[in-house]
Amino acid sequence: MFDYVSFLQNLSNGVLIGGVYALIGVGLTLVFGVMKIINFAHGDFVILGMYCAVLLNSLLGWDPYLSLLVAMPLGFLTGALLQRLVLSRLMEAPPESSLLVTLGLALVIGNILLLTFGAEPKSVNVSYASSTVSLGEVSFSMILLLAGLATMVVIAGLYTVLNHTELGRAIRATADNRLGAELVGINTRWIEAVVFGIGMALAVTAGVVLIPLLFATPTFSGAIFTLKAFVVTVLGGLGNIGAAIAGGLLLGVVEVMGASYLTSDYRDAYGLLVFLLILLLRPEGLFGKTVKRV
Amino acid sequence: MKKHYFIFAGLVLVGILYPQMFPGYLSVAITLLLYAGWATAWDILGGWAGQVSLGHASFVGLGAYFVAVGTAHHEIAPWWSILMALVAAAMLAYLWGRLTFKLKGPYFTLSTIAIAEIFRLIAINEGWLTGGATGVFIMTLPEPFGLDLFSRQVNYYLALAFAAITVLVVMLISRSKFGYQLRAVREDEDAAMASGINPTTVKLKAFMLSGALTALGGGIYAIFLSFIEPHIIFYLLLSVQIALTAIIGGRGTIWGPCVGALLIVGSGEIFRTTFAEANMLIYGLLIMVVVIFMPRGIVGEPARYLIRRVYAKRAQG
Repeated sequence: MFDYVSFLQNLSNGVLIGGVYALIGVGLTLVFGVMKIINFAHGDFVILGMYCAVLLNSLLGWDPYLSLLVAMPLGFLTGALLQRLVLSRLMEAPPESSLLVTLGLALVIGNILLLTFGAEPKSVNVSYASSTVSLGEVSFSMILLLAGLATMVVIAGLYTVLNHTELGRAIRATADNRLGAELVGINTRWIEAVVFGIGMALAVTAGVVLIPLLFATPTFSGAIFTLKAFVVTVLGGLGNIGAAIAGGLLLGVVEVMGASYLTSDYRDAYGLLVFLLILLLRPEGLFGKTVKRV
Repeated sequence: MKKHYFIFAGLVLVGILYPQMFPGYLSVAITLLLYAGWATAWDILGGWAGQVSLGHASFVGLGAYFVAVGTAHHEIAPWWSILMALVAAAMLAYLWGRLTFKLKGPYFTLSTIAIAEIFRLIAINEGWLTGGATGVFIMTLPEPFGLDLFSRQVNYYLALAFAAITVLVVMLISRSKFGYQLRAVREDEDAAMASGINPTTVKLKAFMLSGALTALGGGIYAIFLSFIEPHIIFYLLLSVQIALTAIIGGRGTIWGPCVGALLIVGSGEIFRTTFAEANMLIYGLLIMVVVIFMPRGIVGEPARYLIRRVYAKRAQG
């Protein structure tokens, strides 16, 4: 007999955690779409967000969601600055140079966090940590629900900016055709800094949203999040935001379903297997257009 | 080319005499030699063939696990298990390459991370095969010719032999037809194909050689540590360390990976007290500086300058 309640429970958990993965993936895919670089430090930006929430909570007693007010602008500024000072030097270099530099950046961030906060895992205790909302027989964890909600708000905001503002139009133009964008007077170097800033702000937000749910550890978890972000973006097709959201939800569901119906030992492997299959069978992503390769 | 062989002979001689001069610093030297060997082996695929892999820890782990599980659970002598590991590593590299070599550039790199992570999870979860998350202890080792394989001196000479073999292999490759094929594929696959080279075959050969040599180092590493843990030996950071050592030193050069190892293991020793466990900070900073300011690596940049000057002189004369 198939157990519908636990299936629905798993599905909803998967979708909610997948929403956060989507948030991480969207930042990565946006940066790839505009700058054509693979940002290896993306997962460590997520960790930076986690530690930002931990720090504000331990110093001022702020709720993680309140610390978003500081974390998001700070993330944006840091990202824009990093792009101007470091990554802009690599625009002419081969694609793997930016991969290596961001890999170096990831190591630097992780190890500076390790030096500052120590190796022991840190978390934030919130009063609503164990409360749940029931809908029939399916119950939602309050933290997951809030995380899903925050993700939706942020992605909706990003969607509005990209599709209904002049800045968004400039960003899309730069992603589509850099030279064309420059010809109509868009300052693409400035757009790149803005986009990297947005990407980092999104990653930091995901970190803050995740902190009541997960422990922050300085060096190990960054790579895991980077990997998840890649899985999400490759699932959807690099550079495509709508597809990254779908990819994130898919990854969340695959992980939770795999963990509960197969074996939880390989929780992280299911996403990776799907990732490899898609890379090999449909390198343009599940939803990507098939492009003729030159 | 002759001067490379002279340098090689000189370095091996220094290496042989080193334990007599600094008997107190053997562990550092073993680490240095292992990294030099691994980075050189990585460079066959990553530098000469231009396929950046961030999954080489899988081969270290394969070699180490063959030796450790072989002695601890099945009483197989390490030299036989290393031989088996070499064959297994070459086979693994063949399948791995068959599967992923159609991916280009960064996509290939990402796929190596994913595959290596899956191996790490298998090593942790399949306890019947690998001893599980707690790892494997090597309690007893046979004594060939009365040599104690646990002694630092013997470990040192094993590591020296490993590093010397890999460097020698790369020196032989660099002037062989295979070496030129590798460089042709790295620079332009289409042009290589047009001149009658099958890029996939060439890359597969490079991967198999690179993987087998890395596994050889892994086996020696297991004997040196006498205790291996899947978390460490299959870990992404080990793959990253191996790759960055070669890239910092200079990809596609004979001595680059060795110089990289010297620089990184050396600075790791110097800053050990300052940074404690945050030793990867040095890798991070060095790789950023090198990629931005010296894209060909610490050995690659001056070598290129010298070569250009020689050609310029020839053109004038």
